[in-house]
Amino acid sequence: MSEWVKVADAGDVAEGEINSYTVGSRTIAVANVDGDLQALDDTCTHQGCSLSEGDLDGTIVECPCHGGRYDVMTGEVVGGPPPEPVDVFDVLEEDGELRVRTRDDD
Amino acid sequence: MDVVVVGGGLAGAAAVGALRAEGFDGCLILIGDETLPPYERPPLSKGYLRGEETEPHLVHPEPWYAEQDVDLRLGTRASRLVASERVVELEGGERVAFDAAILATGSRPRRPPIPGLELEGVFDLRVAGDADRIKAAAAGSSRAVLIGMGFIGAEVAASLRHLGLDVSVVEPFSVPLERVLGPILGGAIASLHRDHGVEMIFGDLAERFDGAGRFEALVTRAGRRIEGDLAILGVGVEPVTEIAGPEVEVGNGIVVDETLRTAAPGVFAIGDVALHDHPVFGPVRVEHFDKAIKQGEAVARNVLGADEPFADAMWFWSDQYDSEIQMSGYATAWDDMVVRGSIEERSFAAFLLQDGVLRSTVTMDWKLDARRSMPLIAAEARPERELLADPGLDLRTLHPPKDAT
Repeated sequence: MSEWVKVADAGDVAEGEINSYTVGSRTIAVANVDGDLQALDDTCTHQGCSLSEGDLDGTIVECPCHGGRYDVMTGEVVGGPPPEPVDVFDVLEEDGELRVRTRDDD
Repeated sequence: MDVVVVGGGLAGAAAVGALRAEGFDGCLILIGDETLPPYERPPLSKGYLRGEETEPHLVHPEPWYAEQDVDLRLGTRASRLVASERVVELEGGERVAFDAAILATGSRPRRPPIPGLELEGVFDLRVAGDADRIKAAAAGSSRAVLIGMGFIGAEVAASLRHLGLDVSVVEPFSVPLERVLGPILGGAIASLHRDHGVEMIFGDLAERFDGAGRFEALVTRAGRRIEGDLAILGVGVEPVTEIAGPEVEVGNGIVVDETLRTAAPGVFAIGDVALHDHPVFGPVRVEHFDKAIKQGEAVARNVLGADEPFADAMWFWSDQYDSEIQMSGYATAWDDMVVRGSIEERSFAAFLLQDGVLRSTVTMDWKLDARRSMPLIAAEARPERELLADPGLDLRTLHPPKDAT
């Protein structure tokens, strides 16, 4: 069963920033695009670097290692070397908590 | 429309990927003279050479080409472009007609006429097979001699030290990478390698390789004799321009305008082989991984009619031991350098300026600032020295507004 997991207090990700959180065996990145939160797998599909250590520019996050670019809204690759998109997840702020929901098979 | 891409390296593979991603559904042929599908070369001097990665890292998985209806012709050499007939001739005589041709033939290692270069045990490094041969030779060896300490030489030195070999390098300049980084930043690279036990001999050249059928020693111009089990030449590359016929101008590369077009209609060039008229830097021929991909992406849009200048500020990285070096922009000369962090501690960003304009940023174990410099370099910004020197100042706050460029 998938369930919502608290990863931080609400407001932990400032506008224009991207942070990462450990949820079970995965690391999830949460980006704040103009006040809207987006959650995606933090691990670049190219060489496994942490996307949240890169910069967020609008909806695009750029991997700090080799320049892979993903759209945080969809997880799709928009440029650079990554061969595959990353998974995206549900995320919300509620009752003062930042919560992420991974899927059943995670 | 029929598009032919000549060259099965990263740039060519990025171009075919971007053409399909942009919705191009015409005939698409990729011609490569290697037998492997296009793969990434950076690991060849790093993880692949050290044996940590056992398979070449393919740009697209092999089935992708068939799925995307790309006619992948491996082990095939294009011999001549006949631009006026819009035809590429292949070795063996086949003629491939095109509406647009993208030349992405890359570069090959320079092989200066040094006596003994043909001896067994003397290598250079360009393709996966070269890395395989060096790895195999290194496995039974205790001592390697390297000629040249550019990025390839420096990375190979680090990888061979990691494998436990003694490493000596002969380099004509006074520090590694002096032409690219200058003496001060090159000195930081020298100290890194010194701390890892590399013997560096500066201000000297390879005179000849000695050995009875097989490499035994390098003799230098100054008369040193450096014995070793294998030797690796890393003295730069030259563009592979032979395909360009008389209708396409060739200088130090295939000459293209800001939009990656040659003067011949329908003929473009990208990647290592392209001598590109960059809107900021002027004519440059640059051998970076990231630029190869981005030029592949850009040429796809231009083949489909976008006609956009390629204005990326350009960026690359080099991993040596546990240190990561990054560089953005392009500068052959600078009259000012501002540093945040510490060169001595090898954790810094160095900003290279000419007449107050930021031209290039070099970082060593210093995250983000090489890439954050790119919008400033592309805009030919004149950031204040005090701001550049302040590690607490986020360079993004200096970026020009998006719509201004």
